[in-house]
Amino acid sequence: MIALSVAAVLAVFLLYASIAGRGTPALAPSELDGRTDRVSLGGKVVGPIRGDQYVRGLRFRLRDISGGSPETVEVLYRGSVSDQFRLGRDVRVEGSLAKGNGVFVAVPGSLITKCPSKYAPEKS
Amino acid sequence: MPELGRAALVVTLGLALYALVAGAWAASKRRRRLAQSAQNALLAAFATSLVAGAVLAVALVRRDYSFVYVWQFTSSELPMRYTISSFWGGQAGSLLFWLVLLCGYSAAAILLNRRSSRDLLAWTVPVLAAVAVFFSLLLVAVASPFVTQVAPLDGRGLNPSLQNPYMLVHPIFLYLGYVGLTVPFAFAMGALLSRRTDERWIVVTRRATLFAWTALGLGQLLGAKWAYEEVGWGGFYAWDPVENAALMPWLAATAYLHSVMVQEKRGMLRVWNVLLVTLAFALSIFGTFLTRSGILSSIHSFTQSSIGAWFLGFLALIVAGSLVLIFSRLTLLRARTRLESLVSREATFLYNNLLLVALCLTVLWGVVYPILSEAARGEGANLGAGYYNFFLRAFGLPLLLLMGIGPLVAWRRASLRSLGTTFLWPLGVGMVVGVALLAFGAGSSIPGLVAYTFSAFVLISIVLEFARGTRARKALGDPTWSHALARLIGRNRRRYGGYLVHASIVMLAIGIAGSSAYDSVGEGRVARGDTISVSSYRLQYRALEERVGPNATELRAVFGVERDGDELGTVAAGKNAYTAERQVSNEVGLRHDYLTAEDLFVIAERIYPDGSVYVRIFVKPLVNLLWLSGALFLLGALVALWPDAREQRRLAVRYASAGVPSRS
Repeated sequence: MIALSVAAVLAVFLLYASIAGRGTPALAPSELDGRTDRVSLGGKVVGPIRGDQYVRGLRFRLRDISGGSPETVEVLYRGSVSDQFRLGRDVRVEGSLAKGNGVFVAVPGSLITKCPSKYAPEKS
Repeated sequence: MPELGRAALVVTLGLALYALVAGAWAASKRRRRLAQSAQNALLAAFATSLVAGAVLAVALVRRDYSFVYVWQFTSSELPMRYTISSFWGGQAGSLLFWLVLLCGYSAAAILLNRRSSRDLLAWTVPVLAAVAVFFSLLLVAVASPFVTQVAPLDGRGLNPSLQNPYMLVHPIFLYLGYVGLTVPFAFAMGALLSRRTDERWIVVTRRATLFAWTALGLGQLLGAKWAYEEVGWGGFYAWDPVENAALMPWLAATAYLHSVMVQEKRGMLRVWNVLLVTLAFALSIFGTFLTRSGILSSIHSFTQSSIGAWFLGFLALIVAGSLVLIFSRLTLLRARTRLESLVSREATFLYNNLLLVALCLTVLWGVVYPILSEAARGEGANLGAGYYNFFLRAFGLPLLLLMGIGPLVAWRRASLRSLGTTFLWPLGVGMVVGVALLAFGAGSSIPGLVAYTFSAFVLISIVLEFARGTRARKALGDPTWSHALARLIGRNRRRYGGYLVHASIVMLAIGIAGSSAYDSVGEGRVARGDTISVSSYRLQYRALEERVGPNATELRAVFGVERDGDELGTVAAGKNAYTAERQVSNEVGLRHDYLTAEDLFVIAERIYPDGSVYVRIFVKPLVNLLWLSGALFLLGALVALWPDAREQRRLAVRYASAGVPSRS
């Protein structure tokens, strides 16, 4: 009986896993390397921040959070922007790299700005 | 002053160490005096941890910036209430808060049980002490709140998002919950270590567990309310790792609260229960690890910090230690009875447990997936909200249904005929509500429709339970209906308190389904005098107001609200610019409709120099049921928690006849 129920639960899980796949790859700007499938891109905002987030879209560049690579990626984004968004903040957007011009086109509303942690050790 | 704090922490560490070593020695050698001494050491540790807490509290109140911690999280302009809440706003302070609560829980457990359950307490004290050793060691060696510096002129202030009344209480409740789960865990381990594997440890910790679970539940709801009003993206839960960190132990504890009833009544599921209580405690430590280690990128935290390794080590120790212990006591834990029928109360408890644990583990899987993926494929990956929502429906909706069925099914074996008569009405009403909702157009969301139909079914079965019981009481000679109802609840607090909690969960489900499946959104840029319509609301942008508050400049766009031609007053949304922290925060405009539980939710996304505003507007039906369910949840929990003299007497008799612990 218990085995049956556990099997049922597992079956639901596997069903989902097989339909929805393995989640969205999470990459840093330097790892993007020209791939154009849908990914979640996490990086530090470097300027300049141009445009507006509603009509033509906000444009900014992202660099690796670790700072290990000088590579940056230009991001085009529309939709709401958190209070915390500004230069130097770590953000994550979902979307894909446009073929040709190398601009990362984000899914509207997918921008998550990470709060400066309250548990973080101070780096000053 | 900081010296006093540091000394108090070192003494706390010493006392906890002593309680651990002496307590374990005394328990294994059956030395009563030494065991008492270990208990006293843990009581004293509570006193010294309070001293350490008081030192930090005084430093905060005096805004003594020579304490690095005080300087980091307060400023001269910060209102006093938020200055005090900075106690648990940062790493070191929150660890100290944890330690104080842990020592407090331990002291209460000792004082309440040292007479009645001495043998059980013998091994429980060293387990509690071991956890206290870990936290005091962290505070002494890794993250001290008493590091000093030459005092700067002003502090750096608190993150504006945390300057919200909900943030004063939300962490307190969460910590009460997290830390409280240590108590049933310690008693479970204590029972196993002392080979007292009867139901006693469960009965002794019932209230502590219920209290911790209630606090954890309320804490999360308060956090959701904070997110809804302060973070202001229109939602209240985002499946963020840190939110999940609190949800997982709560789900495990919910499963545990249900499965212990099966053990109490029928002596079954004994291994399962110790596993569940271990899971709940381990998840509460895991949650603490998640929020502090920075291993996962979450909107809350993502910084590397050395403290993560400590928590991971402690977590490994807990899991390995308790599994070895449980395995070594398997023969003692063998069930005395077997499941007799698949249609019985214990069977529905089992289904409930499987679903809750499955939900808990799928959330856990979603949380650790990025880490595992990184390790296995060298490429990080995230499971989005879709993953969680899918499983919330797949496991949550059957759970909702079970909530209506389970309490009405008889223990041991239920006949299908009796089930038919019991469920005739709830089933009928559920169907009617489903069809009626479909007719009103609720079919736009299938999960929403299913949730509402199930909710109606559960609510009716709960109401019928109250009605039947009250009528029976009245027939037995209670003078009035209200008197009969009061007596009914008073004599079966656990049962009827449980029903109230169930009703609150149904309200929660209705609120979640209403606000997420049936909401409407509108947005646009408006100049003064312009109107914008969403659903049946019409908003007119009237004025832009500026105010200077104590620690922030407040800018508000004021909208006149109309619904179906009726004037409903104004709603103001805007931004606060915080001076000391040099940050801007969104302040959403909210209009609650208490009659329909609907919210109008206005975000001023951007205010342009020409005075025009880009607004985003949500209409969220029934969302206020979410917050209201918290009140009902608390009421139900209080009913179940309230001291019951009759129950105490019954238990005393039961344990007097239970005799000495078994030995093997």
